[in-house]
This record gives sequence, C-alpha cells and structure tokens, in this order.
Amino acid sequence: MTIPIEAALAVAIPLLGLGTFLLLPHAHPRAKPRRVHLAGAGLAAVGLAALMLTLARPAEWLIATFFYAFALIALAGGLLTITHRDPVFNALCFALVLLATSALFLLVDAQFLAAGTVIVYAGAIVVTFLFVIMLAQAEGQALYDRMTRAPRLTTLASFLLLATLAYSVALVRGAERPLLKPQEYPSATGEATFAFKPSEIETRLVKASDLAGRAARSGDEPLRQVVRMALAPTASTAPAQLGDPARGLPPPHVASLGGSLYTEHLLTVELAGVLLFVALVGAASIAAPRPPQPLLRDTQTAPTPHLYP
Amino acid sequence: MDPALFITPTSSAPPPLWAQATAEIPFTFELLTNNLILGAALMALGLLGFLSRRNLIVMFLSAEMMLQGTALTLVGFGRYHGNWTGIIFTIVILTVAACEAALALALILVLFKRRNTLDPSAWHSLREPGLPPLIDSPEQAEPLTPTPGPESYPQLTPAGIEPPHPLQPWEVRRG
Repeated sequence: MTIPIEAALAVAIPLLGLGTFLLLPHAHPRAKPRRVHLAGAGLAAVGLAALMLTLARPAEWLIATFFYAFALIALAGGLLTITHRDPVFNALCFALVLLATSALFLLVDAQFLAAGTVIVYAGAIVVTFLFVIMLAQAEGQALYDRMTRAPRLTTLASFLLLATLAYSVALVRGAERPLLKPQEYPSATGEATFAFKPSEIETRLVKASDLAGRAARSGDEPLRQVVRMALAPTASTAPAQLGDPARGLPPPHVASLGGSLYTEHLLTVELAGVLLFVALVGAASIAAPRPPQPLLRDTQTAPTPHLYP
Repeated sequence: MDPALFITPTSSAPPPLWAQATAEIPFTFELLTNNLILGAALMALGLLGFLSRRNLIVMFLSAEMMLQGTALTLVGFGRYHGNWTGIIFTIVILTVAACEAALALALILVLFKRRNTLDPSAWHSLREPGLPPLIDSPEQAEPLTPTPGPESYPQLTPAGIEPPHPLQPWEVRRG
C-alpha cells in the first residue's frame, strides 16, 4: 500500500465525523431531511472506504477478502446502530455488528470466543428486541428518537478520541521498521548478523515473532523450521497429549483454553461467578413489582412539562 | 518446561495440514494494528451513541458496542503475544456485559413504568440541586415524516358470523 496511513486517516476521520454528524437525528433548518441524510451517507461511505485503506492487507487473499468485508460490515453496522431513528432497526444493526465482530474473532484464531459471542449475545439481542417492541413507539416517531443532545460537541469529542487512538497506532506502525534481507538472517552455522539499528519504539514494541514473520517468507528452509514454531497459532501451545497432530486432527483449541482458564485464571472464574450472582440478585430486586406509590414528588419536580403533557 | 510435552514441528512425521496452513500466515504487528484501529472505531461510535442519543435502549446498545471494540483489541493483543490472556479477558468482558444487560434492562423497565417514556431527560430531577435546567427545545427535533396511506394489517380469513354493522377500514394512521 503506497498511501501513507497518516494521510488516509486525515481524510477518513473528518469525513466520517461529518457524515455521522449529518446522519444523527436532529433538525437542519435550511435543508430538507432527505438531502441531509443522503449527503451524510455519502460522506460516511467515503470516510469508511478511506478508513479501510489504513488497514494493513493480510497476506492471503482469502483472509484479506473476509477481513475487509467483515471490518466494513462492523463499522457500517455500528454507524447505523447509533444514527437510525427506529429502535427496532438499531437492535438489528447491533446484531450485525456482533456477527461481524465474531467473524473477526475467527480471523484472529479465537474460535471459542466467536461461538461464545454469538451464543451469549443472541439471547441478549432477542431480549432487547422484545423490550423495543414492548416499550418503544412505532417507527421511531417519538420525539426523543428524532433529536440528539449536543450533536456537534459529542461528535467532535468521540471522533477526536478516534483520531487520537488511530494516530498513535499509525505512529507506531509508521515507525522505521527494518526489513531483513536474506543474507542478514541468523543461519544454522554462522553468527546472527542483524544489520539494523533498532529505534526506540522498535526496542519497546517489536516482538520476536514479528521479525520472524518476515523471515518466514524467505527461502531458507532451516530458518523456516525454526520460525514455524514461533509462528504457530495459540492452540498449538497446548500439551501434546490433548490432541493428535500426527494424524492431522485439529488443534485442541477449547481444551487448552479451558486448561489455561481453570489453572492460571481460577480466581477470575470465581470472581465472574460472584459478579453474575450479584447482578442476578440486583436485577431481581430492581424489577420486582411493587405496590404503586403516590407520585406527588414526581409531579412537583417534573423538569420538562411541555415535552410530557 | 519440558519441550517434549509440546507439539514441535521437528518430529519425524510431516507437520499436519492445519500447521502447514497457519504457520505460513504470521500474525505480524501490522495485523495487530488493524484490530486496534477497528476496536478504536467501534469504541468511538459507541461513545458517540451513548453521549448523544436520547433513547435508553439505544444508549444500552451503544455501551455494548464499546465493549465489543475493547474485546476486539484484547483478542488481537492475545493473538499477537501468543497466549490465552486476551481471550480470557474477553470472556470476563462477556460476563460483565451479561450482568450489565440484566441490570440495564431491569432499570429500563422500572423507569418506563414510572414516567411512561424511554427518554433519560425525564429523570433530570435526579441530578444534584442548583444545576441549570437542561431542556432541549422541540424545534431541534427532526420534522415528523408521516407515512402515507392507511394503516395496514395482515389479512385473516374471516370466520364466524359477520357482525351486522358494515366494517370500516381504519383511515387514520396513529403514532
């Protein structure tokens, strides 16, 4: 990719912010709502495309295709989740975000988490959907669905956050990262001759497997043998007796995850159980039906009488 | 640690297909930054929705979206460093999200019962005293766009005795 990431970010984030601001539900006195929405959608689409350009392309074309597709679906779904007026549509778009995110989990070798996200959030989304159908007014025509609070300031704040985070990532990625030449590899016979001077960021952030990833693309077979161990997916760190790799069986992903979860992180599991129990008690005590109480204080302090006649 | 316990590609048998397929695709720092940028974007969008939208259900969905951005970042870091910590942290996030969903939906139900609206502006009386009133004028709202035509309902097969009065179609659209 020849486009520098800073330039792509400098185009993407203002366009995306402006498009999101135009798409957020509030009144534009001098323009028709339909034109404003079309302009906002166009700007946000250009901004999303520019943001896609800042992502590094994965090596395999199939992985790259799926990665770009699901990244686009996740971001566009997130945009629609916060900008659409209809709460039913918001919930549906959030389900789309969840599906795309779990697909991205799959692409970074987290199969169990992808399945777990779909299973856990499917129930949450169905319940939310039920609430929307029960409580929200039809077709997003309620007054509070057609207006936002301080849209300029909030858009500025959140996209300033995005610009800061993305620029710090770009700063690290755009730093001078040495690309090894084949004759500079440590060979099996000779000494390691790394002919580069690591910068400060490099010494802090570079990882052995990152450099080895570049080395794995070379033609040096013993080096590739060494590197393959460092680059193996997380699942292959499992003890060998859990799976049978000699017969080509899949890696024992869940088994080794469970091993790590219930040995190193046992206290975490216990704390999560306590948290779930406390939340259960709290939700039951909040939502328990009570006898109706006189609303004397509420009517005295109702802040917006003209909105709620 | 005993290296014999772990799968090593130096065994006599050729490495299995999954190892061949995945070992050639290194998870480099550039791929990690992809996850970081995507997570930051989801986080910013969720923040915007939580701060600006005025529907309690949409605010709840935005908070969940912020958690998703964080989870994407954590899983990327776990894959980059080659251990399970990122995934385990994300499982804890799933637990927290489930608890948050239970509490938030219970709260939304109670609040809706009291004021009959999903607008958090109806609860300004909960703020500390002495603050200026934060009342949005209805002129800031987008104009209401009526959907043309009468309300439509699913057609059911008529059954039983027809009532004596003529059936009037509903002409006025509510809401």
